[in-house]
Amino acid sequence: MEFSAANKIFSVSEFIALLNIGLKKSEVKIVGEVGQVQFGPTGHVYFTLKDEKEPGLIGCIIWKSKYLLYGIKLQEGMKIMTSGHPEVYAPSGRLSFISDTIELAGEGTLKKQYEELKKKLTAEGLFAEEKKRALPKYPQKIGVITSKQGAVLADFLNNIGKFGFKIKLIDSRVEGQEAVSDLLAAVKTFRKQDIDALVIIRGGGSMESLMPFNNELLVREVAAFPVPVVAGIGHDRDEPLAALAADFSESTPTACANLLNESWEQLLLSLERCERNIITRYEAIFDRYLMIENKLKIFFERFKALLDSVAQILGQAERAIFLNNPERQLKLGYSIASINGKIIKQIKEAAIGEMIDLKVSDGNIKSEIKKINPYG
Amino acid sequence: MAKEKQDSKNLNDNLKRLAEITAWFDKQEEINVEEGLNKVKEASILIKASKERLRAVENEFEEIKKEMDAEI
Repeated sequence: MEFSAANKIFSVSEFIALLNIGLKKSEVKIVGEVGQVQFGPTGHVYFTLKDEKEPGLIGCIIWKSKYLLYGIKLQEGMKIMTSGHPEVYAPSGRLSFISDTIELAGEGTLKKQYEELKKKLTAEGLFAEEKKRALPKYPQKIGVITSKQGAVLADFLNNIGKFGFKIKLIDSRVEGQEAVSDLLAAVKTFRKQDIDALVIIRGGGSMESLMPFNNELLVREVAAFPVPVVAGIGHDRDEPLAALAADFSESTPTACANLLNESWEQLLLSLERCERNIITRYEAIFDRYLMIENKLKIFFERFKALLDSVAQILGQAERAIFLNNPERQLKLGYSIASINGKIIKQIKEAAIGEMIDLKVSDGNIKSEIKKINPYG
Repeated sequence: MAKEKQDSKNLNDNLKRLAEITAWFDKQEEINVEEGLNKVKEASILIKASKERLRAVENEFEEIKKEMDAEI
């Protein structure tokens, strides 16, 4: 390439184009103080960046779409860090720096920007407690935004319970201003998907590293997200604004996972309680049944005894009737003697010459009394 | 016949009547053969019907008990 370029004769435009191909590979970060700022009619922003103490100065351009992304209003004297690459503008031959990202530089400045934005968004009610939504009970479809790299995702996945969660992950950078566009795209993607809750997680870090989560556009997206958002973004004293705008802000990915598990675990406890209640009640029913069964056995025994006593009574009645049956006495050879219908039991009740009736088993015999002899 | 049927159905009444008949025999000082015979006939019918009814009740009870024992 270099050989062919050395032997080729270029037009100016061709040469600048070739130059720009090489310059595009020179991705760098520059820190400097903002000088003159001009806003073009198309929304692109032209500004100069200079050293504080040395005479270095470079013209910079940030395209409208990028400029709006970072929520920083460039002003003269502001100290910023920008990442991008140099480029020669062919019509003027001027070298400019094409900024892909801009961020405020210096802890104090970042803190100031953070506080100002926090104040503004608080006034708008983005962080209001009454705006916070509860997680749906038994969430299943979970959207997760984090970096596939690092332990954060593993911590989350290791602690999420086995409750049939369907987890969709969008891999995103989570550090540096470059992360803003990833995070915004991920949130917007999930906005169109059917999920029960959105989880945004990353590990702890300095205020600079957490700056993407203080991006105004991202904070607004989180605040307006259609389903509850659970944030687990670092452990900084100055809580990232995206976490403040979320419905839940947890300190770790593990805590986020535990929060999602909560209603499921309560359900399990409640099911265990129900199970215990059913068993206890069933045991009570069973005890009652045993009691009834015992009573029934006693009743059976008593009834059997009653039947036996009835049989005994019948037997006794049968014997009494048998013994008292007059026919039986007559068949045995006994007869019943009577005079004028009166049964004769003693000799004094009869007199010689009287007619006496004798009843035997098959008829009557009439006799005349001829003689009466007392015993002995 | 109707009386027999009625008697066979009501074991309690039968037992009561039999008790009356045996008591009647017990208190007789003079045997009234004809009435005694009638009482014997009535008692025989009652005893026969009662025994049948008792057997039926016992059988039914045994069946129920068997079923209950099987369930338990």
